[in-house]
Amino acid sequence: MGNVQILLRQHVGAPCAPCIEVGAEVKKGTLIATPTGLGANIFASVYGKVAEITDDRIIIEPAAEQPDEFVPIDVPEDASKLDMVKAAGVVGLGGAGFPTGIKLGINLAEQEMGELDPEINPELPKDFKLDCEKGYILINAAECEPGLAHNIKQIEDECDKVIRGIKYSMEITNADKAIIAIKKKNQGAIKILQKALESEPAIKMHLMPDIYPMGEERAVVRECLGVNLTTTQLPSAAKSVVINLETACKIAEAIDDKKPCISKNLTVRGRIKGGNEAHVFMDVPVGTSVGDLIERAGGIEEPFGEIIMGGAFTGKATEPDAPITKTTGGIIVTVEFPDLHGANTGILVCACGGNEERMRDIAAKMNGKVVSVCKCKQAIENKPGAPLKCLRPGNCPGQVKNNMQFKKDKCEYIIIGNCSDCSNTVMASGPKMGLKVFHQTDHAMRAVGHALYRTLKVSKQVSQDIDF
Amino acid sequence: MSITAETAKAHAHDPAVLCCRAEAGITIEPANLEDPAIFDDLVDSGLLNLDGCLTIEEVLGAKLTKTCDSLAPLTADVLDGAKAPSTPAVEEAPAEEAPTVAAAPVAAAPAAGGILKIHIGEGKDIDLQIPVGALGGGAAAVEVPAAAAPAAGAAVPEAEAEEKVVRSLTRKHFNITEVKRGPETKIEGTVLTIREGIEADVIADQELVKDFHLEIITPDKYHTYSETIMDVQPIATKEGDSEIGEGVTRVLDGVVMMLTGVDEGGVQIGEFGSSEGYLDENIMWGRPGCPDKGEIFIKGNIVVQEKTNMERRGPMAAHTAFDIITQEIREVMKKLDDSLVVETQELKQVRRPHKKKVVIVKEIMGQGAMHDNFILPVEPVGVLGARANVDLGNVPVCVSPLEVLDGCIHALTCIGPASKEMSRHYWREPLVLEALHDEEVDLCGVVFVGSPQINAEKFYVSRRVGHTVEMMDADGAFVTTEGFGNNHIDFASHIEQIGMRGIPVVGMSYCAVQGALVVGNKYMQYMVDNNKSESGIENEVLGCNTLCPEDAVRALAMLKTAMAGEEVKAAEKKWNPNVKSTNVELIEGAYGKKVELVENEQSLPMSQKRKEKYD
Repeated sequence: MGNVQILLRQHVGAPCAPCIEVGAEVKKGTLIATPTGLGANIFASVYGKVAEITDDRIIIEPAAEQPDEFVPIDVPEDASKLDMVKAAGVVGLGGAGFPTGIKLGINLAEQEMGELDPEINPELPKDFKLDCEKGYILINAAECEPGLAHNIKQIEDECDKVIRGIKYSMEITNADKAIIAIKKKNQGAIKILQKALESEPAIKMHLMPDIYPMGEERAVVRECLGVNLTTTQLPSAAKSVVINLETACKIAEAIDDKKPCISKNLTVRGRIKGGNEAHVFMDVPVGTSVGDLIERAGGIEEPFGEIIMGGAFTGKATEPDAPITKTTGGIIVTVEFPDLHGANTGILVCACGGNEERMRDIAAKMNGKVVSVCKCKQAIENKPGAPLKCLRPGNCPGQVKNNMQFKKDKCEYIIIGNCSDCSNTVMASGPKMGLKVFHQTDHAMRAVGHALYRTLKVSKQVSQDIDF
Repeated sequence: MSITAETAKAHAHDPAVLCCRAEAGITIEPANLEDPAIFDDLVDSGLLNLDGCLTIEEVLGAKLTKTCDSLAPLTADVLDGAKAPSTPAVEEAPAEEAPTVAAAPVAAAPAAGGILKIHIGEGKDIDLQIPVGALGGGAAAVEVPAAAAPAAGAAVPEAEAEEKVVRSLTRKHFNITEVKRGPETKIEGTVLTIREGIEADVIADQELVKDFHLEIITPDKYHTYSETIMDVQPIATKEGDSEIGEGVTRVLDGVVMMLTGVDEGGVQIGEFGSSEGYLDENIMWGRPGCPDKGEIFIKGNIVVQEKTNMERRGPMAAHTAFDIITQEIREVMKKLDDSLVVETQELKQVRRPHKKKVVIVKEIMGQGAMHDNFILPVEPVGVLGARANVDLGNVPVCVSPLEVLDGCIHALTCIGPASKEMSRHYWREPLVLEALHDEEVDLCGVVFVGSPQINAEKFYVSRRVGHTVEMMDADGAFVTTEGFGNNHIDFASHIEQIGMRGIPVVGMSYCAVQGALVVGNKYMQYMVDNNKSESGIENEVLGCNTLCPEDAVRALAMLKTAMAGEEVKAAEKKWNPNVKSTNVELIEGAYGKKVELVENEQSLPMSQKRKEKYD
């Protein structure tokens, strides 16, 4: 095992400040950095010695022996459950990294319903009311990034922990109901949940189609509750809190075991020796290098294109020596990029996929000359520089105008980062106009053996019956 | 792109096409539909076939019975519960308008004129670039209200019919039949003599002026080669202490000042789009801004310092220096005996308080380079006392109609001679004259606004225009522009700023083929094309495509129609000159008077340049 590098910023907010010296001996669970603003505690994830502290990370030289024991979080006897979650440094493990202790600090019973925009909620009756007394915990078990498998595996292996985490979340926020949002294709996990929920009348499942995106926070709210939120509204506007499945488990660990958030479940997949099946690693110490994990999976099968940290849609290119963080869900080794030989290329930036920088990175790796950049009409920049948010995730606003622009700008190829529905729309006119379409996830999808994002062949609606 | 409820309403009678894949069972709402504004292109490129397609108003609220993909036209066989179409009939002026409109026979105005309709969805934070080709010509089409509603003229209380003369301007005309050179500048009878050696004064006046030649062009010398024509100016002066726009102005008939020029390298001032060549092949006789056939030109050819031809200082120096000659003539004119006056003309600024109040916004060039205008000189089309439009920041300047007709603009136009308004244009501005004389409207004034180079500044000034027109409480506005291309951005923005305040706006510009609008917005519903050229192009013939009386008549008719709340038909997709002729016929029918149409470049001898480049 190589050195463990623990980044000081692995959450939304400001970087944490180290509270340990170089040379100090640390154990699993030793507090090593604390928030300076919005943030969450950071702990050592391994036994070892602090080798170096830089501006952005603490580097630990791991000991040879790595016992399972950990230092429990330091909270008073009478600490509230919310305080325990805060102390454990739990953040949104689905990728967003928002400090969970802050997210759960809401009393849904007293939360007023936000004002719903009629423009994006045309079918909602005027006297619409949510079907709950106090509020909802919505569990995001969509595992929406194609090719990842660790969330669903956790349901299959640790269903009781999932349920405990949900119940604690409901208790902390005063929610009277919970809904687990899961794709209908995960039949095994659904059966297990179905059984477990027999004795939990307040918790239900909502089955979702296998399209991208379903795990986007506002998509989860829409799918479960039928309410469309604006790009600036939080789920609290629908008296809800959305929590990732793995985060719910970490909440349970923090409360039941006083365990700090020091490890991560993730999927390693793609151009790996031995095949492209998912390698799921549970409880990987935060700070482990990408290279170590790829080696554990079998090592890179040459030749390859790039290594993506995160999912194919929202992840970014990374290097073997980069460390994983609390929010790393996937490591995908892709196939080689096609060579466009400097042809005129357009990029279609969307809230659902990579930002313009990432799209340009892919275009450059494909040797395409970017001559045109369009943005999906629904991709809204709430504040200058803020990440794009989709107005109606998964429901296309039309793309033919963008294609016309690409034609006008003399593009031969276009690279799109759209969701399933928008990609389908691009395909309805792009190829007929003579545009050759690539999706930003193509090299990753080929590597994991997933269908490419082009024409949509499945329905956006699935029945809620467990008919399998 | 999907549309909003507002756009769906505006396009109620347009085809309904899915913007995206939609699954069976959904209820069709605006968000499912593609913007009809782009259909023409899609149909042209074979991506869309609208046969059997229902309209937007028919499909909204209907249930889709079959999953259809993006760009699928919605037809009856895939919908359940489609509505019956309403007739997109011409709406009559709303009844409640009648009492107030009664005073003005405005309701009787025929629908006329051309319109180029470029629709931009909500028009908020949307940066649209519409391919010029997609629009074809920026031309016109017309809606014909079946019959003009009869005006309730009898009901007009007499007080309301009263006109109010705000001020008047007297023009005293002196005739000149011969221009010659002599020891001093003088006018004897109808002979104007210009001092020999005055050229040296012109050269000495401005550092950038390197050479100057004065030529007297009499009609027998019209077939003379000339460098590009920079300006045509009336020779006029104020009598006594009277100021521009009032009192008495003396003007010479039969003669005009003409400034031409190149730089030391022989480059035309205003290369790419210049009118150099034989005068008789490159001047559209009789245009408001041009010489009339038979007039004598006092033609000064200036050579400016090399490479200053495309800088503001070059043309400014040329105009300033050339005015030395005009000023010397003006001084002589002031002393002329009234017995030499051949005609006295009184121009009245009339207000008609109970008629629809209209304002004319004239966009003038102010990009810097040679595109500038001197505003409000002391003498008609003079230099002294004037402020350069660029120095004023291109902001709106309100002037009286009489100030316009009295030479308050000294124009420094260059590139694009066919569509640019020379100084003389303002002296005979047809829209100002028509509106002033039209008893159905109350012309409250004229606003000049510049066309700055930088986009941010463009919107800075257009917002000022919007507020200016708003605080006038105008019922309608004209926005005119000269040139094409860059200035159309300002043009569109001025129209938008006025239109968004609920005031109908008629836009007037040369568009046709080459000048097709590059931008647009939903307020650009009423458009009149000033094109006269045969092929719809900037043919480099001086003044060919500038605003003429026939355009002013069409614009007035269109604004009256718009103010009466009647519909003007959308433009045809491609420029079609027949639209204009149809409109003219309609107006002739409705008003019972002949609209004289001016000739175009085809009436001129063919120049080598035109032969090679255009026709």
